[in-house]
Amino acid sequence: MAKLADPVQVKAIPSARKRALHRTNVIGWLFASPWAIGLLCFYAIPMLMSIYFSFTTYSILQPGEFVGINNYRDLFHDPLFWKSIYNTIYFTVFFVPLSIFFGVALAMMLNMKVKGMAVFRTIFFLPTLVPQVALAVLWMWLLHPNFGLVNGMLANIGIDGPAWLGGESWSKPSLILMSLWGIGQAVVIYLAGLGDIPEEYYEAAQIDGANWFQKTRKVTLPLLTPVIFYNLVMGMIGAFQQFTLPYTLTKGQGTPANSMTFYVMYLYENGFRYFKMGYASAMAWILFIIVMALTGIIFITSKRWVHYQGK
Amino acid sequence: MRRSKKFAFPILVCFLVMLLLVTACSTKGGSSDQAGEGITTVTMWHGLTSIDLDNMNKVVKAFEEKNPTIKMNLVYTESNEGSDQKLLTAVAGGNPPDVALFDRFKVGTWAAQGSLTDLSSMAAESGIRKEMYYPFAWEESSYQGKLYAMPMDTDSRLLFYNKDHFKEVGLDPNKPPQTIAELEAAAEKLTIKEGKRFKRIGFIPWYSQGWLYTWGWSFGGEFQDAATGKITANDPKVVEALQWMTDFGKKYNVEDIAGFTSAAGTEEMDPFISGQVSMKISGNFTVKGIEKFKPDLNYGVAPIPTPTGTNFTTWSGGGSAIIPKGAKNIAAAWKFLEFLGKEEGQTLLNADSQISVIDSVNDKYGYKDDPIMKEFINILPNSHNRPVIPEGQLLWNELASATEKATRGNGTPKENLDRVTETVNKALEKYDK
Repeated sequence: MAKLADPVQVKAIPSARKRALHRTNVIGWLFASPWAIGLLCFYAIPMLMSIYFSFTTYSILQPGEFVGINNYRDLFHDPLFWKSIYNTIYFTVFFVPLSIFFGVALAMMLNMKVKGMAVFRTIFFLPTLVPQVALAVLWMWLLHPNFGLVNGMLANIGIDGPAWLGGESWSKPSLILMSLWGIGQAVVIYLAGLGDIPEEYYEAAQIDGANWFQKTRKVTLPLLTPVIFYNLVMGMIGAFQQFTLPYTLTKGQGTPANSMTFYVMYLYENGFRYFKMGYASAMAWILFIIVMALTGIIFITSKRWVHYQGK
Repeated sequence: MRRSKKFAFPILVCFLVMLLLVTACSTKGGSSDQAGEGITTVTMWHGLTSIDLDNMNKVVKAFEEKNPTIKMNLVYTESNEGSDQKLLTAVAGGNPPDVALFDRFKVGTWAAQGSLTDLSSMAAESGIRKEMYYPFAWEESSYQGKLYAMPMDTDSRLLFYNKDHFKEVGLDPNKPPQTIAELEAAAEKLTIKEGKRFKRIGFIPWYSQGWLYTWGWSFGGEFQDAATGKITANDPKVVEALQWMTDFGKKYNVEDIAGFTSAAGTEEMDPFISGQVSMKISGNFTVKGIEKFKPDLNYGVAPIPTPTGTNFTTWSGGGSAIIPKGAKNIAAAWKFLEFLGKEEGQTLLNADSQISVIDSVNDKYGYKDDPIMKEFINILPNSHNRPVIPEGQLLWNELASATEKATRGNGTPKENLDRVTETVNKALEKYDK
């Protein structure tokens, strides 16, 4: 009997399972539908549409006409476009490495076993809770050339401080300084990374007679590379999209002398203030290509310098 | 299996409800049309706060009493570029409010995009005429000879000077500079510099409202050719004005004074209020701040100096009310605009706050007897408005950037202004079809 029943069941199970699978699939998709619909309607479709718009003179209010690659050609002849690229790359090139350097340094300091470390960690994390607009206003006061706290302190030790945000040569370094103030988020990630490094490696190094510097160079940093890699990619993408801070600081004008006109600011200006949404879409796609290319390069080189534990 | 069936139904319902919510947004528009029998609700988007909002509520109350069939629904939208973005999306989505408050500066741009309702014929029928308003206010509300906005309030720019500082350095506090040469001489006397640091700056041409528009017109230049509508930012007189600004900057070292200009705050951080700047170009909108933060500041206002000391002028902007394209209740909305634009509405609207666009209303407010306010009012008949073109914002930004570049020695004034003229006229070409 059992022998007879078996083949029947074997046959029956797959079809039943198939149906069940099918049904759970549908239910699964229903559950996921808010996300799926949102992704399609508010992300995928607008994104694909913007490819088309980048070939038109779309102005939001008017559909515009198809102009082929004119937008892209105009961009390459637009001096402000190049200026904004220069500003953005300048910011990225200085900010990202500095943020990694200070982030790792801070995390290592905050990883020491000292009493009250939780308090210090909180203090360094607090600035990230300040909204960007408030941050801008705060630093405008601090960096005020005449009655700002920073120049006031510099004057006390006999240094004549620069005009900071007011001067062409100091505006971007000021912005980098301000941005570095908010690296708490990255520090937390580095701290988690540091916590992942097993104590045994240090013990082994200790027995071998390694000093602090050698331990840092040979144990800590290599094992921290996966986290550094993550922060490098995210930091770079974030830096290329720099918008809120300079926009608030300069009321959207990019003053002085366009030294604070960043790529996304200029994109926004074209799209929403000059009504050149087609042009802005073209800019967005160029930015996308730049960021993708750079991310690709980082990923390819990562095989050489990122060390995962257990590999 | 049975279980999943049991759940499938509620999930399906949830899904349908959600779909309904998503799609409902696009069809909701008509709901504000009719409220009750025979009563039309007019929705108005505004960015007003404090006294201006109180005034607007008074206007609405008076209006509703006179028009019992219309009900106004005021909706606050933040008052900066953000509000325009909201309006932009609403117009593009075909679901705009019936009325929106709007910076007159943007009328040209929006009208060129076909996003504003042409008010000309309704204005003619209601007896709203050009002569009722200051010339610039009507001009700035119109694009290509058609009225697109109802002007609401305005402002003007003058020279503010600190009388105490004038006394201190031996200048007559009742005789502010009238010519550019006098201005320069006074500025030199008033400036106190210690090393690289200024203790006090007499005057900075481009500080506060010292835009190139301000100086260009004061030097007798024109930014637009009246006949062709082409932009003439490189008008010799405008170039002369920028040259003067550049020379002024060179004399005091631009980077040293940069601190005052770009980082200087408004309100209580205003260096004019704190006595670090003796003279500045500013508008009537800063008078309230001085009253609030330093009521005993001994200052005066005077027309902006010109090369000859005659032909004083200034420029004005201000707010307006518009009916976006696609609005549902145009007739009722116009009724409100008409009320807003006539003397009664104007009197209620700008009390204790702004300058009205109707001269007699300002007279009624007693502005013409106030030593400070009368200067702002008296200059208005000769005031300019920024060119009403589809690329007004581009022209503004280009001029601001040309001023910065020239004063910082990055190209001569002529070169910079030639470039502005070329860029803007090129951008305007596509509207000339």
